[in-house]
Amino acid sequence: MSRSPAPEAIAVPAEPRADTPPTTRSKRDRNRLHRVEHRWALAFVAPPVIGFLAFTLYPILFAAYASLTSWNGLGPMRFVGLKNYVSLFQDEYFLKSLWNTFFYMIGIPIGLVLSLLLAIALNRKIPGRTAFRTIYYIPVVSSLAAIAIVWQFAYNGDFGLVNQVLAWFGIEGPDWLQNTATVKPAIIIMAVWKGLGYSMLLYLAAIQSVPTSLYEAASLDGAGAFQKFRSITLPMVRPVTFFLVVTNIIAGAQIFTEINIMTPTGGPEFSSASVVWYIWRKAFKYQQMGYATAMAIALGLIVFVITVIQFRLNRRNSFSIE
Amino acid sequence: MNRKKIAATAIVALVSATALTACSSSSDASDAGGTKEITFMFRGGADEKTAYQAAIDKYTADTGVKVKMIVTDADQYATKLQAAVAGNNVPDVFYIEQASLQSYVASGVLMDITDAVADSGVDLDNIWPYGVDSYRYDGTVQGTSDGRLYGLPKDVGPFSFGYNKTMLEAAGIPLPDKDTPLTWDEFVDICKQLTTDTDGDGTIDQWGTGLNVTWNLQSMVWSNGGDWTNEDHTKVTVDTPEFAEALQKFADLTNVDAVTPSAADAATLDTYQRWMAGQIAFFPVGPWDVSTYNDLDFDYDLIPWPTVGDAGPATWVGSLGIGVSNTTKYPDDAVKLATYLSADPDAMQTLVDANIQIPNLIDVAQDWAGEADAEPANRQEFLDIVQDYGRAMPAAFTYGAEWYDELWTNIQPVLDGKQTAADYLAAEQPKMQALLDESIENAKQAASAG
Repeated sequence: MSRSPAPEAIAVPAEPRADTPPTTRSKRDRNRLHRVEHRWALAFVAPPVIGFLAFTLYPILFAAYASLTSWNGLGPMRFVGLKNYVSLFQDEYFLKSLWNTFFYMIGIPIGLVLSLLLAIALNRKIPGRTAFRTIYYIPVVSSLAAIAIVWQFAYNGDFGLVNQVLAWFGIEGPDWLQNTATVKPAIIIMAVWKGLGYSMLLYLAAIQSVPTSLYEAASLDGAGAFQKFRSITLPMVRPVTFFLVVTNIIAGAQIFTEINIMTPTGGPEFSSASVVWYIWRKAFKYQQMGYATAMAIALGLIVFVITVIQFRLNRRNSFSIE
Repeated sequence: MNRKKIAATAIVALVSATALTACSSSSDASDAGGTKEITFMFRGGADEKTAYQAAIDKYTADTGVKVKMIVTDADQYATKLQAAVAGNNVPDVFYIEQASLQSYVASGVLMDITDAVADSGVDLDNIWPYGVDSYRYDGTVQGTSDGRLYGLPKDVGPFSFGYNKTMLEAAGIPLPDKDTPLTWDEFVDICKQLTTDTDGDGTIDQWGTGLNVTWNLQSMVWSNGGDWTNEDHTKVTVDTPEFAEALQKFADLTNVDAVTPSAADAATLDTYQRWMAGQIAFFPVGPWDVSTYNDLDFDYDLIPWPTVGDAGPATWVGSLGIGVSNTTKYPDDAVKLATYLSADPDAMQTLVDANIQIPNLIDVAQDWAGEADAEPANRQEFLDIVQDYGRAMPAAFTYGAEWYDELWTNIQPVLDGKQTAADYLAAEQPKMQALLDESIENAKQAASAG
């Protein structure tokens, strides 16, 4: 590569060459600058774009094709058309795991209400609030696998912590993870506890950014604490609520680790199995990669549709303060 | 081009290059120094790793070939192996499950090692026939002595039955005979005598037994003359009266005879922990349990499984295999490593000393069983199972185990006494049959594609 004379030209602009009119020259310089900048822009844009192509778009296209095949994940694929998708609707375990997965999402509103209340409480000047904030945030930074194992012990029917505490109040607790009626609530409680700190932190930040002038004005108008909460705090943290609902639903649709650790066989009568757990089992235990991929695509579509609906609803309800 | 342009172009190139090589990097570096290196992927704990390290050190000393070990935990092994296969980065030597063998053979992942093993001088007749035949496959049937060989046994795992000798002696109950199996009624009777409240606080704290349906039902069904499928694994036969009677008797242990801890416990580890705490009289013992059980505060020994019917004692023998990749760069060295891991006397001794498996080599096993200070004393029971009355798991030689797992998924109401075994099995048979048909179909498809 030959070195271009450009730096010298920029360095000594006072001596234009005779054959080039000054105006053209400055335009060319600008073009050159533009090109250089452009290249740099491309350089910075390239990593995520290449990453997207190699690790997202290509796998998606590949999966879309794989979902139309009978494939064990090792050998050649055999094209079977929409057969896998037709089977999906007749597969009672798929439908059950889908139901379970959405059942777990009951924890999302519960978690949001609790974390908002916590955020309000910890926004006050109570003694030891930094310590409390830390305590509530610790589960967020802990390994999910470790947490699931600890909760698995806690839920043990005979010597688990949960039933010991219940026994103080004279309640005989069930064997939480072995009972079709309690296994999902048990996992929801754990998931809410785990996610509380994260939502609380975002709410705390949102509450602190509400202008105090709004509260002062409301006080002058004679608004009570609840009215202020309802008409000022709640609308002002709305964007955070929206963000949390969307991300929680997407994450909730992918629930896997806690299910696999706490109920390795999918729970009694398949009562705790989530869609992703079932996909994983079909793909890697039973080597039905084609069928499992079809389930994954179906789950992806469901999540996509739900998210689009949420954005629509949010747009319709949004407002701004002028 | 100026410097900035060069730098920008270089960054683009670098990023693309890393992104691309990340997808295709493989262990090709082994040739670099002139020394060969092969990879061995397996799962297991510290004991296995130590034992295999000894075998591998010896192998490297003998052949000059280096071995890179990749250990995973048991849960992740199947996923990681499949990812390695998908990425064209199959380890040279790796563990293979009986039930996955057919799909790995059909997909061309496993190498036919019949001739290479014959040439290597390993005496296959001195390895348990069940262990070797598990990895033979002729394109349609697996597990007979006719097929081509696609792996060597890592181990054979006879699932035996034990009793708490200290507890029976304290209760003044005559010890069960090590050669004559207890009948089911005798077994339940002893269990009833031992299910008591020992410290007088009003709650029962000692039980006759506490079994897990997933691992213990096989023995009961087989000893009653029932089975999961017909001989050639094409028809599910769980709806027979023999099968139903055995399952009902299993559930009755808790619900009628009341000789086990509460129903839900059978599905957890609790009975295992209670056995180790000396609260349970009869409990299964696998070779992999021996190192743990030998440290317990009570004495225990092995007996044949109690029999439900008159088909004689029965139980299952598990096995894990060691296979060689079809795409290995060093086929001879890889096969040799497999033979070291499976059949090298020194390596075998290390594993046996760790008390996690019985010897693969028949002559070593017989010496081991005859040792004077053996613990448990009746080690011979393990060998009897492998030689005489042990069987392969029902799904060991089918194409995948989904049809088999289906039986356990909804079984809880039967164990809780809310549904009769006969009703449940009648409803399950068609579901299991459909899944078995599907797996047979998949097997055919895979075989024709391969």
